[in-house]
Amino acid sequence: MARKHHYRAHSKEPPELDVTTFLNLMVVLVPFLLITAVFSRITIMELNLPEGAGGSVDKPVISVEVIVREKFLEIGNGKGVVANIPKVNGEYNLQRLSELLKKIKENYPDKTDATILLEPDIEYDYMIKVMDAVRSFETLPPGSTEIVKAELFPDMSIGFAP
Amino acid sequence: MKNTRRMKRMARNHKRKLPALNLTSLMDVFTILVFFLLVNSAASEVLEPPKQITLPDSVVETKPAETAVVLVSDEAVLVQGEAVIATSDVVAAKQELIPEISEKLKEIRENVIGVSTKTVAQSDKVTILSHKTIPFKVLQKVMTSCTVAGYGTINLAVIQKASQS
Repeated sequence: MARKHHYRAHSKEPPELDVTTFLNLMVVLVPFLLITAVFSRITIMELNLPEGAGGSVDKPVISVEVIVREKFLEIGNGKGVVANIPKVNGEYNLQRLSELLKKIKENYPDKTDATILLEPDIEYDYMIKVMDAVRSFETLPPGSTEIVKAELFPDMSIGFAP
Repeated sequence: MKNTRRMKRMARNHKRKLPALNLTSLMDVFTILVFFLLVNSAASEVLEPPKQITLPDSVVETKPAETAVVLVSDEAVLVQGEAVIATSDVVAAKQELIPEISEKLKEIRENVIGVSTKTVAQSDKVTILSHKTIPFKVLQKVMTSCTVAGYGTINLAVIQKASQS
């Protein structure tokens, strides 16, 4: 009687799975994959290099030039400087640059190319920052909570500042 | 005597039932984590972020392609992982073209071994990984050397970031 009782009580419980080996595998796999996982993704910025001896036939209506100098930023139109953006607290005022470029883009919506001219000692980091500002700007459309990137002048070429 | 035997048996029975750790939730977490990490690592990166240099951050989303890689660090310029010239020599160079770099790039184009080197050789693209603080004059010389070697498109590698700020 006692035995029967014992047997029935045992069969009522759900059968237990032995997950020890599986657990061991997981414990090894998880740290291994965590170590090898790459969390910073590399992306690339494509550059248009001016083809030598090409000689463009039709002169564009306007050309957008952003000149990065040691002390300030300049926006040029191919003939002369149209805007001068001084540094703020030792950093380039990219906000202002973005605003001015937005105005140019409104006047010439079809324009997609720009030239970035840098002085020889400008650091690569600043070059990328300015290129980011010239490529696109971020806006918050009314009634939306998601930031949208709007294109400015994505076809960039670079060169030395005159 | 009878009593003690019964007590012994009961004690034994009780002892056997004790170890029942509930691992279900832990297993769930681990299983999901393992699959996530496996998929994450299976999408193998074309370009590994190098340890010795810091790339600048940018918002661009273009994926890197299989191209020739030029790495510019504080100490040296590496073409496909091989040091060709010291960065200080590039700074000091009078002319725009650095022959060491363009020669090495031309060599890569000619020496085709296997499939991956073939794609590298056939693309006319070069990816430049450069340290944050490298001045533009160095990059300009490196880029000129790349174009002279026949690599028309230059890609600048950056670390992706979420938003401009």
